[in-house]
Parts: sequence; structure tokens; C-alpha cells
Amino acid sequence: MSPALILQVAIGGVLMGLLYAVVAAGLTLIFGLMNVVNFAHGALLMAAMYATWLIHRSTGLDPLLQLPLVAALLFGTGVAIYRGLIARTLQIRVNGAMVQIFATFGLSIFLVGLAQLVFGSDFQSINASFLGGRTLALGAIVLPLPLIASGVVSLLVFLALFRLSRTEFGRALEATREDFEAVALIGVDRDRIFGIGWGIGAAAVGIAGVLLANFYYISPDVGTNFALIAYVAVALGGFGSILGALIAGLVIGLTEALTALVVDPSLKQIGIFLIYLAVLMFRPRGLFGKL
Amino acid sequence: MVGRAGRALLSRRRRELFFGVIVLALLAALPLGVHGAYLRGLIVLALLYAGLSQAWNILGGYCGQISLGHALYFGIGAYTSALLFTRVGISPLIGMFAGGLLSGLSALLVGIPCFRLSGHYYAIATIVIGMMAALLASNWDFINAAQGITIPFHGEAWQNLQFRTAVLPFHYVMLVYAALMWLIAWVIEGSRWGFHWRAVKDDVTAARSLGVSIYPSKLAAAAISGAATGIGGALYAQYVGFIDPESAFDLSLSVLIALPAVVGGIGTLWGPLLGAAVLIPVQQLSVAWFGSAAGGIDLMVYGALIMVLALSRPEGLVSFFHTRARQEVIDHG
Amino acid sequence: MKRIRRRTVLTAVGASVGLGLSRPARAVEEVKIGAVFPLSGNAAAIGQDARHALETMAEIINGRHNIPMLLGEGGGLSGLGGAKVKLLFADSQNNPQIARSAAERFITQDGVVAIIGSYTSATAVTISQICNRYQIPYISADNSSPSLNRQGLEWFFRPSPTDTDFTKAMFDFFAAIGEKTGEKVKSIAIIHENSVFGSDSAKLQARMAEAAGIKVLANISYQANIPSLSVEAERLRAADADVVMPSSYTSDAILLMRAMHDAGYKPRAIMAQDAGFIDPAFIAAVGPLAEGLMSRSAFAIDAVKQRPAIPAVNALFRASGANKDLNDLTARELTALQVLGDALNRAKSTNNMALRAALRATDIAGNQTIMPWAGVKFDETGQNIKSNPVILQYQKGQWRAVFPFDIATAAADWHIQR
Repeated sequence: MSPALILQVAIGGVLMGLLYAVVAAGLTLIFGLMNVVNFAHGALLMAAMYATWLIHRSTGLDPLLQLPLVAALLFGTGVAIYRGLIARTLQIRVNGAMVQIFATFGLSIFLVGLAQLVFGSDFQSINASFLGGRTLALGAIVLPLPLIASGVVSLLVFLALFRLSRTEFGRALEATREDFEAVALIGVDRDRIFGIGWGIGAAAVGIAGVLLANFYYISPDVGTNFALIAYVAVALGGFGSILGALIAGLVIGLTEALTALVVDPSLKQIGIFLIYLAVLMFRPRGLFGKL
Repeated sequence: MVGRAGRALLSRRRRELFFGVIVLALLAALPLGVHGAYLRGLIVLALLYAGLSQAWNILGGYCGQISLGHALYFGIGAYTSALLFTRVGISPLIGMFAGGLLSGLSALLVGIPCFRLSGHYYAIATIVIGMMAALLASNWDFINAAQGITIPFHGEAWQNLQFRTAVLPFHYVMLVYAALMWLIAWVIEGSRWGFHWRAVKDDVTAARSLGVSIYPSKLAAAAISGAATGIGGALYAQYVGFIDPESAFDLSLSVLIALPAVVGGIGTLWGPLLGAAVLIPVQQLSVAWFGSAAGGIDLMVYGALIMVLALSRPEGLVSFFHTRARQEVIDHG
Repeated sequence: MKRIRRRTVLTAVGASVGLGLSRPARAVEEVKIGAVFPLSGNAAAIGQDARHALETMAEIINGRHNIPMLLGEGGGLSGLGGAKVKLLFADSQNNPQIARSAAERFITQDGVVAIIGSYTSATAVTISQICNRYQIPYISADNSSPSLNRQGLEWFFRPSPTDTDFTKAMFDFFAAIGEKTGEKVKSIAIIHENSVFGSDSAKLQARMAEAAGIKVLANISYQANIPSLSVEAERLRAADADVVMPSSYTSDAILLMRAMHDAGYKPRAIMAQDAGFIDPAFIAAVGPLAEGLMSRSAFAIDAVKQRPAIPAVNALFRASGANKDLNDLTARELTALQVLGDALNRAKSTNNMALRAALRATDIAGNQTIMPWAGVKFDETGQNIKSNPVILQYQKGQWRAVFPFDIATAAADWHIQR
């Protein structure tokens, strides 16, 4: 096992980890905002991938160029989900958390069924994209271009999210989370803030979906595996922490890749799980959890 | 407890028990009106899940620890019983208790580190542990890894817990299981533990000031919940005749175990039964009716139903039967 | 018990009527057959294809398409007075409990004479067991796990080869092509998904390699549906074996090919254990990367000379809504119904005992089917002993049969020497 191989695997893991981090960022944003774990996150990822595929198929628009379009689409979807489903659950005092979990869970099953009905269950993939199938060679290290692109875009997304938290709006989000009854008194429209929060969270996962569609296959079930990793990343990083989502995503991506090199790849997720449990034993609220 | 409130409570408890006996009798007589292996099989499954969900409810509902990894205990119970039966020839009537013992122990082992975690962190930790179990099981040759364990038909006998085509015996087995789980929940509801857990759920700092240390009782709840789930798993294995890592340890199974309690009324006595009575037939029938048509409709129906139920009846289906006032009494009585 | 008695009465009436009159009255209008496949969930594409395959065969039996094969003249089941085949479908969701319930429902509520299924081994176990208890035949259309016919069941019938047969065909091919071209296989790298399909396949391959004196340079198991296979591809590249032998479902197959390509690794030969690699969606996704890929198969679509029925049957299949060619899985599923229909004809009855006797006596010549087999004849465990797999290679956009040499339609593109 040459050092070049290890380095290549590690970099690949980091790039993949950035993608996991973006999915996790959306999730942690929504949670941080209103204490809701969105179990429909995987379904949103799937929806973004199908949207990318559909647009590519009908207009030939390359996935990279679709980024703003699909992000906007998913933003709208996020707002719609908030207004249509989540807003109702917030009024519920009894068992509020459970209701939110299972409402989004039901939504997830529904969306997967819908996707199967509309698109069929055959696997689809985008075969003629600008980046697909191309690699970049840096000495002895070869990396697929779509993966590099995802890494770059993911970093940009995080940069944007960090800037956002420093703006007026970002502070409003933070304040609303802390005490949404008090902010109503100073005229902040809670529903509007939460709606936008959901929109941004969904847009983040939408961007991840577009990036994934460049090199991954698309099917109604595709969201499940990524979502699971995202939940672990969010818990590892700390619910509500964007920085936590980034670090956790990187850790997971790296661990997964290196574990596969050392043990039987079918057990590579064990590495992630063990690290996750170990961290939680010492930091019960994750690495950067504030809640 | 003394005085008028106390006497009211005692009579309420007695009424609940009386009502429980009535429901038991009705369910026992149900097969007289339902014929056909398929429909009877539906009821068998609903009763099994009522029991499993009540077992989950003890930890998740009453004790407040929302576990989404209960499939771990289900699987341990199922595999233990199946292995003992197919490899050593031990009757599942004994095997299920062995399975229950192992799964109860596992629940303790999981609870000890994990009860330090709160809310969502705990839930995700249970998911992760469940997934690890599934992964390890798929690679463990001793238990046949991914191939699973086939439980061949050894002849119709109660000690084999196998019956050629008759579904009725399993109806009663599962009914007894569900009834026992209900009884355990009823006992816990009226016990000191139940009182402590309700206090903690309402106000953590107040409970602490009362000097209530709930950690040991939580562990006990975990052990009971885990053991009971394991026994349910063993019963399932005998009923279906086959167990593999995917059907025993999958996340979707963990959710399916928790769902009836949540939909029916989490932390309530009748919630799991009501929830199972609605969800299981819907799940099975939507596959049967819609599954053969364009794929996906059965999932849409099932998903929509969960959403609607979660939104319209957040306290659970039991709220159809309880008035607000009585709910208060139950919470703080 | 009531079910069987009613059927026995019906068929007794039918038989007695048939004996007496010149124009046989129809005692049975239609024969119900249950089909249990994953129609939703992540194997739904396979299940829906299976549905089309079975519907195609039912159409051939019931219609008048005059296809040059057994039951191809149509007009219903002649042995039952022209009774039509009626297929009932149920979704198993790849769940063994739901599959069992579906089978039980078909048997007790719908009165099916037999059940066909089921794609996965786990569902086949529970279906075949429940069929055994009710004494109804289960026809395993596409389950290839070798353990299924060794459960001691008396109502289990499998027309298709098992994974042992398939893997043996691979190694027979290696030996034969090595002899022929002088380029012998000295090493293999196995990569498989870790569910029952992949692990069984890998075990067989490792065992047969050892027996043939071939070195196993890597035996990598990965978890199905994982987001990335790049590390696994790197390990394969490092092993640099003569032949890479993958056992994967469609999604992973796509991922693996792309990962190998990204790693700059083009294996000298790939011999796949079917499944994902013969899925048209796979071909569509990887495009030119699939060139030269080999797979075992129970079916060779280009063996038209020896099996003239293929073009007509394929056309009907495409028209049934499948919009794709027949492949290994769909051809087997279609043939399973053909075998069942033939048994029903010979049994001249829908009585379960008569049907089982007829199935046990099955002896169909290979050229009466679309399969490249010697024929269909069951041994005492219900396994067809005349089904011989073939090896296919994807050449210039088409799957060509390259082994056994006597039915091959093209020469294998074989260059494993460094």
C-alpha cells in the first residue's frame, strides 16, 4: 500500500466528506432552528437528483449550470413543507417532538412512493455531463472531476452559511431559535423566519443532490443511505452547529475511506459508528453542540 | 395515597383493569368472526406489534427514552431462539426466554452509556447501534451471516411452536404476549417508577430536587423493554419460519416497533394496541391491494396516513377515547 | 382441506365430461396462478420486469400467436379444455414476512394452483415453506441460491440453474478458453456485495478457484448501496488479477465500473455473476465501459438459430410494456410459466397432487423453449438437471453468447496476457 494510494484515498474521503457535510448542514440548520429532526431529508436529496436529471434530459442543461435553479426549486419546496406540514406541528403542545419526527417520516415514505410512481423504479443516471467520467491527475494521485467539483462547491456553501449567520437575518434566525415567543413581541414573524430557514436547509441538500447527480445513480431509494450518514454527522457535530456539520462530515468521509483500505470494505461504516459512539461518550452533545 | 383523590385513582385503576379483561375476552373471541388464514394472519401480526410496541412504550413512552434501535433486541431474541431450535433442538418455548434474557442484557449494556445522552442524541445513538448490529450480523458466519436461518417444519406441536397451516394457535400466543405487555405497562403506570418518570418528564429540576434518582429505574425499564422485545422476536421467527439480518435488525423494523405507540398514544396504556390495530392492517393491506398496481401507491397511502395521524391526533388515537380532563388526571394523578 | 375437496370435485366432473363427449365442456374456465415479486422498493424494477415477462407468457398461452415453441400455438391450456391462464400479482417488497402473507393469501383466498416467484432467496424460503405446508407447488423462476432445493421440500421446483451451476460454467469457460487461446487464467480478484447473493457467490468462486489451482488475489466484500466504491476499486487495481469477478446489483455495478474507470484501472477481463451487470439500466449508465464485459447467464438472446422462438417472444415482451429486450432474469421467469403451463396440460387437472406428479414427470426438450438448455427435467429435489448456463460477452452494443463453443454465436474477445 503506497503512500500515494493512501493519500489519494484520504483526499477522496475528504471530498466525499464535504458532500456529506453539505447534506448534514441543511439538516442541522433546520434542527437548530426549531428543534425538528427532518426525517424527510433523504427524500429531499432524492427529489433534487430527479429534478437535475429531468432538467438535463429535457433541456440538456449541464448539472453544474443547474445549481442555482435546483437550489431555488428546493428552497421553494422547503418553504412549502414548512407552511404545509411543519407549521401545523409547532402548534401542538403534547408530544411535539414525536409528532414532528413522525410527520416528516410519513412525508418521506410518501415522497419515495410518489417518485416510484412518477419515475418508475429503474435506475437513472446522467451520462453526458460536462464533468462526468473525467479525472484530474496530480502526480500519482488521480481524482474524479465530479468529486473535486463537489468539494469546491461544498466549501462555497459552507462559506455562504457562515456569512449568513453573521448577517441580520442570521441573527434573527438565532434569536428565533432561542425564544420564539419573545421575538414575536418585537415584531419578528416567526413563520416567515422558520419558512426561510427550512428553505435554506432544503436548498443546501438540493445543491448536494445536483453535485451527486454528476456521478451517482438516481432511484427512488437513493436518499436513504446519504440521509443516514447525515444524521450521524449532525449528531457527531452537534445539533444546530454548522461548523460541527462541516467537521463531522470531514471526519466521517475520511474515516470511511481509510477504514475501507484497512479492513473488509463491507465493514467500513463500522469505523464511522465507532468514532461516533466514542465521541458521544466524552461529549454527549457532539463536538460543537450548543443545545 | 389517601383521601378522595387516592380513592378515585384506585377505582380508576380498577376500571382500567376491568376494561382490559373485557378487551382480552373480545380479542380471544375474535377468530369466531374472522375466517381465512390471511385475515387471521393480519390479526396475529397486529397483536405481535401491539406487544412489541408496548414493550417499546415502557422505555420510550413512560420512561421518555425514544429508542429507534429496538430492532437490536428483536433480532437477538429471534436469532437466539431460532439457533437453539435449529441447531440444538431446544423448544422455542424455552428458547424465547433465553432470547429475552440476552436481549434484556443487551438493553442494559446499551443503556448504561447511552442514557447520558439526551433526546435526539440518544435516538441517533440507538440508530447507530442498531445499524452496527445489522452490519456485524451480516458478516458473522456463525449465525449464517447474510443467508439467515431457515426454521424448517418439524411437525405440528406446541413444543415446536409450529403448526402446519393453522393460524389460530398463533393468534392466542400473540394475544397472550400482547396482554402480558399491557399488564406490565399497567403495573408500571401505578408503580413508584411510573410516578418518578412522569415527574421527570414534566420537570427535570423539580424531580431532582425531590431527590429522585431515576438512572437505576431507567436501566430497569430498558432491561424489561429489551427482554420483552426479544421474546416478541422469537415468536416472530417461529411464525414466519425464517430470520436474516435484514428482517431482524433493520432500521425500518425499529421504526415499525415504535410507530404504533406513537400513533396510538405514546406513554399511554392503550396507545400501542390502538396504533397496531390501525397501522398493521393498513401497511399489510396497502401492499396487498395497491402493491400489484403501479408501484409506489402503497407507500404513498401508508406515508399519507402516518402524516395525517401525526397531525390530527398528536396525543395519539387514544385521544378519541379520553376527554381533556381525564388526560390531566392521568398525567398528574 | 375444503379447498382441495372442491377442486377435486370440479376436476372429477370435468374429467368425466371430457371422457364422454366429443366436444369437451370447459370444467375450468381459467386457472389462477400467483406471482410474488418485489413490485416496490429498491428491487422494484426487477419485479416489474418479471411481471411483464409472466404476462408475456400468459399472453402466448392464452392468445393465438403461433410461436415455434411449447405452448406457442396458444388457445389456452389444451389439457384443461382451453382454460386461460390468469396471473395474480403480489408485491413482496423483498420482505420474507410479506412474501409469506401474500403466498398464503393467494392459496387460501384466491385458490391459485401454484405460485411463481420471487427474485430474492429470503422471500423464496418463506414462500416455498408455506407452499409446502399447503401442498401447493412453488416454481422458483429466478432464485439461484443452491440451498433452496435442499430444504427437503416436496413442492419445490426450479427450472433454472443454481449459483453452483453458474459459477461452474465460469470456471469451465476459463479452462476451455485457456486451452483454446493459450491464455490461461492464473489469478482472480473477487468483489461482492455482502448480502446473501454476493457472499454465496464469492464463496463458490473462491472454492472453485482453489480447486482449479487459480490464485485468489483479493476477496473484497462491500456493503450494498454504499455511496462510494473508490477504495474498493483501488484495491482491485492493486491486486491486478487476470480476471475480476464481481457480484453486484445494478446500482453498485454502475458505481464499481465508474470507480474503476476513475482510478484509471481497466481490468483485463471481467466475469460478472449476472444480476446488476445484465440490467439494461447498467448498460445505459456506463456506456462504452461495458465493452468486453462477460457474465454468466441462463439465457442467450442471440441464439436465434437454435431457438427460433426468440425473436417473436422478445417482440411480445417489448410490447408488453417492458420496452427492453429479454434478459437472463426475464427469460427465466417467462420459462417458469411455460414449464408450469406444460405441467397443467399434462396433468389435465388443477388438482395439486396431479399437478405435482406432472411437474415431476416434466421432460421438455431445450429447443421447445427460448433457453439454450438441453431441456427441463427435475431431479428428486426439484432441481432441473438439464439447465446449462452460458457465458455472454458484451460486444459492440450486444450481448453475444461465447460459451459453450457449440452454441456460441461469437468468438470471445479474450486478452488477459500482459
